[in-house]
Amino acid sequence: MIGSLVQEVGIPQAVAEADRSRAFEAAVREHQAMVFSVAYHFLQDHAVAEELAQEVFLELYRHWDEIESREHRIHWLRKVASRRCIDQARRRKLRNHVSLEEAPEPFTWMPAADPVLKRFIEQLLGKLAETPRLVVIMRYQEGLEPAEIADVLDMPVATVKSHLQRSLALLRRKLSFATREGES
Amino acid sequence: MDFEDQLRRALERKDPSADFAARVMARATQPKKPLAWVSWRSWAAAGIAASLCLGALGLEVEHRRKVEQEGRVASAQLMQAMKITSAKLRRIHKRVQGTL
Repeated sequence: MIGSLVQEVGIPQAVAEADRSRAFEAAVREHQAMVFSVAYHFLQDHAVAEELAQEVFLELYRHWDEIESREHRIHWLRKVASRRCIDQARRRKLRNHVSLEEAPEPFTWMPAADPVLKRFIEQLLGKLAETPRLVVIMRYQEGLEPAEIADVLDMPVATVKSHLQRSLALLRRKLSFATREGES
Repeated sequence: MDFEDQLRRALERKDPSADFAARVMARATQPKKPLAWVSWRSWAAAGIAASLCLGALGLEVEHRRKVEQEGRVASAQLMQAMKITSAKLRRIHKRVQGTL
């Protein structure tokens, strides 16, 4: 590939291109888990999440020269991944979506065994509406503070806090119901 | 365990497939499509579309011009007819007054 680049654009530019590719590949390896996890926790579909994460990185490649620092890159990736998640969810909305409020109470007890509980919480999260779901992911996957979430998702901090409060209350209620059912 | 900790554990980051980065790199650095060919086709399509639009616009303008001209002719004819009628009516009126 480098040989053909040298022929096409000359040595200095080919070297710059090669450097750019190497730096980009390092960035993909560093942030792939973050971007993929945002998409996976939001969409709950491994293949679609990988496809979306790939698209996010391809967009990063196109905007590579505009990225000023590692922090800027992380912020940019979270922002673009979130935006694409929302777009993807709107396209898939036709699927039989039931909101968490409307979802029936679970009738099987979820033992505290981690993998099962984790899966159960993931499923509950998948029932949240799009924006609160992203807010919860940014808070508990990425560990962001409400002000940082507000910045990534372009919304007021008060809205972030209210989404967090309502979503947590709802998730906690569903989870405790499942646990109570199992114990009785 | 605290509920928020449970949430944190459920939302731990996961790795994508092992070949994820390689697939991204392959897509990012794949050779671009031959631009000349693409642009030749795009330009041809755009040219045809523009010609069709201009043609349709020309026909519409011509049609409107024709309708306006016909309207003007009809209006002139009507005025002429009214003048003739008015002249005749005046003559008849004079005759009627003469006989009285």
